[in-house]
Amino acid sequence: MILLVSITVGLSLIAVFPTISEAQSEQKTFVTHSGAVITTSGDVIDPLYTVSTVDFDPDEFLRNFEYGRVSTSETGQTIREYTIIAEDDKIQEISPGVFYNVWTFNGTVPGPTIRATEGDLLRIHFINNGSKEHTMHFHGIHPAGMDGVFEPVGGNGGQFVYEFEAGPVGVHPYHCHVMPLEEHIVHGLYGVFIVDPKEGRAPADEMVMVLNGLDTDFDTENNFYAANTIPFYYQHHPIQINTHELIRVYVVNMVEFDPINNLHLHGNLYKYYPTGTDVVPSFYTDMITLSQTERGIMEFEYEYPGKYLFHAHKVEFSEKGWVGIFLVQDNPNNSQELDYGT
Amino acid sequence: MELNNNTSRVKVIASGIIPFAFVIIMMAYIFGPGSDLLDFGIPLPEITIEKIDFVDSEIQATVRNTGPIPVEVVMADVNDRIHPAAVEPDGFLERYEAALVRIPFEWNEAEPYIIGITVGDGTRFEKEIEAAAPALQPTLDLAVFFAIIGTYVGIIPVMIGLLWLPFIKKISKSKYHFFLALTAGLLLFLAFDSIEEAIEVSDESLAGSFNGSLLVATAVVLSFLGLYYSGEKLVQRANSSKLAKPVAIALMISIGIGLHNFGEGLAIGAAVGMGSIAFSTFLIVGFALHNTTEGIAIAAPMSRGKLMIGKLAAMGMIAGAPAIFGAWIGGFVYSPFTSVIFLAIGAGAIFQVIVVLMKWLREEGDRNLSSASVASGFAVGMLVMYLTSILV
Ligand SMILES: [Cu+2]
Repeated sequence: MILLVSITVGLSLIAVFPTISEAQSEQKTFVTHSGAVITTSGDVIDPLYTVSTVDFDPDEFLRNFEYGRVSTSETGQTIREYTIIAEDDKIQEISPGVFYNVWTFNGTVPGPTIRATEGDLLRIHFINNGSKEHTMHFHGIHPAGMDGVFEPVGGNGGQFVYEFEAGPVGVHPYHCHVMPLEEHIVHGLYGVFIVDPKEGRAPADEMVMVLNGLDTDFDTENNFYAANTIPFYYQHHPIQINTHELIRVYVVNMVEFDPINNLHLHGNLYKYYPTGTDVVPSFYTDMITLSQTERGIMEFEYEYPGKYLFHAHKVEFSEKGWVGIFLVQDNPNNSQELDYGT
Repeated sequence: MELNNNTSRVKVIASGIIPFAFVIIMMAYIFGPGSDLLDFGIPLPEITIEKIDFVDSEIQATVRNTGPIPVEVVMADVNDRIHPAAVEPDGFLERYEAALVRIPFEWNEAEPYIIGITVGDGTRFEKEIEAAAPALQPTLDLAVFFAIIGTYVGIIPVMIGLLWLPFIKKISKSKYHFFLALTAGLLLFLAFDSIEEAIEVSDESLAGSFNGSLLVATAVVLSFLGLYYSGEKLVQRANSSKLAKPVAIALMISIGIGLHNFGEGLAIGAAVGMGSIAFSTFLIVGFALHNTTEGIAIAAPMSRGKLMIGKLAAMGMIAGAPAIFGAWIGGFVYSPFTSVIFLAIGAGAIFQVIVVLMKWLREEGDRNLSSASVASGFAVGMLVMYLTSILV
């Protein structure tokens, strides 16, 4: 009887508490997004509040436009030359503690935002340093041989020069177009290509948001969603803008696996230019739904200072990272010298 | 002469060691550093969410690293929506190390939830709970409640079964054999039942790396061997110490049944703990009914000795009381690993009891175990158990 009890208790203790024994004394308290307070002696795992150590900087990407190396042809045409290097062996911490093999153009997901004016001659020196074949396929108008579909560029140093005139006006995606296509896109081989009208657009605080998702466990469902790759980033680091200043956001939806994505703006409405090909807005709304590689330009101004959310109203996506905050500040000088980002 | 002896001993030792050295060399060649013979690719992380507890404004997941490499727990989600959480003691898990993930969440009773845990390479693991119910707090009231349930399931039915004793005492030898065989049949069914239950638990909540079915097989065989060996010792001592043999056999039966009832207690406690009220009621009624037959199993051998009320009552306790301990452990500190182990040990114990019973039947005269009473007893035992299992 006693034997039975001791065997019983002993075995169960061994099996139930094998390792939960190393006590830690330091207590931490954290407040969750919903306001719950929790005190723990352990680790806090929280993509919202943990300081991000990721090596892709969404703040830098947000307002960064690559105009290329500029020269002029004999006929007076502006020539913009870019060097884009593809790689597919980079392990990046895409959310605190989550390491994922990203495939990159110039080392980042998304790749650099290529910007030109309508009619410029683009010369893109593409180098594939990856282990697989890759290409660059630009949405827009160009000759068949420059489409990045039937000219796969071999890995380990393969090269190709894409040459075409920038057009039409608008915001377009570019991405690798090698089969299996979904795999190459989901791993991160995409970026934004902006073609400005010759007469230009009104001055504005301009930014790029690539709506994307990451399938970190390869089950053809996204584990994370984001604007500019890092989940919850702009919620943790609000985007600072000024009252009464025109904000122009180039939005490109690169989410795979899910049929739609969308963008809802709080406390405001935006003028929406689908694909950016028209200079007259098609909608005045706070909510636009985008299918794969659908994109557009959003223009708005905030009247009242404060914090305003922007996020997917497909709430699943926002609860898996695609959510951010505009921190609107009163600035009497309407100064552009404000120190953006932190 | 002495020298000769020494050299021969050295030879013996050497002849034992040399092949062993070759084994070590071979293993070093296969597994050692620099060997790429067994490089089957990248080991993948794996964790098992063993248990989900719904406590006040919080969901708690017990996770264990059941893969071949250390992992880090980096994210928790509820219904595939990311939530901040705490991991205690910390998120780094060595092989087989466990941690508690505490997710602040206002959950709703009786609603289903899927809890997901993501590790450092982005792989997500999940466990589904059909209906959330508050986790049991180890209060005195609840401990008393479990004790009462355990008494109803374990002790009282066994005691009721023991009341058959006067009847069995009066019947003829062949009828007596029938009842011994019936006991064996009943027990055999219980053993299969325990094994099935153990495999079910291991399939549901135990990681693949535990090799659930093999774990069950191993535990069954080890417990059988251990109990068989110590049982024989017990009988030998019983013979020498004049403890009547029927008593020794009945004692072994009681211990075996006790282990089995412990497993039943675990099941009940775990069912109450998981909040499945209907299931736990079913278990309580079912176990209580069939445990009366366990009383017969103890009474049958005892009927050939002197009537010893005290000893009989003690055996009833040994067989029945573990149901209480089982319910406590099942309800308060449930772990799938312990359940599997205890259920398997119970099965092994029952097999041992059956073997002892059959040996005894042979010694009692039925050398080939082929008499009508033995065959029909066995068959009736199995059938009775099967039918009650359908009814309840
Ligand atoms: Cu590619």
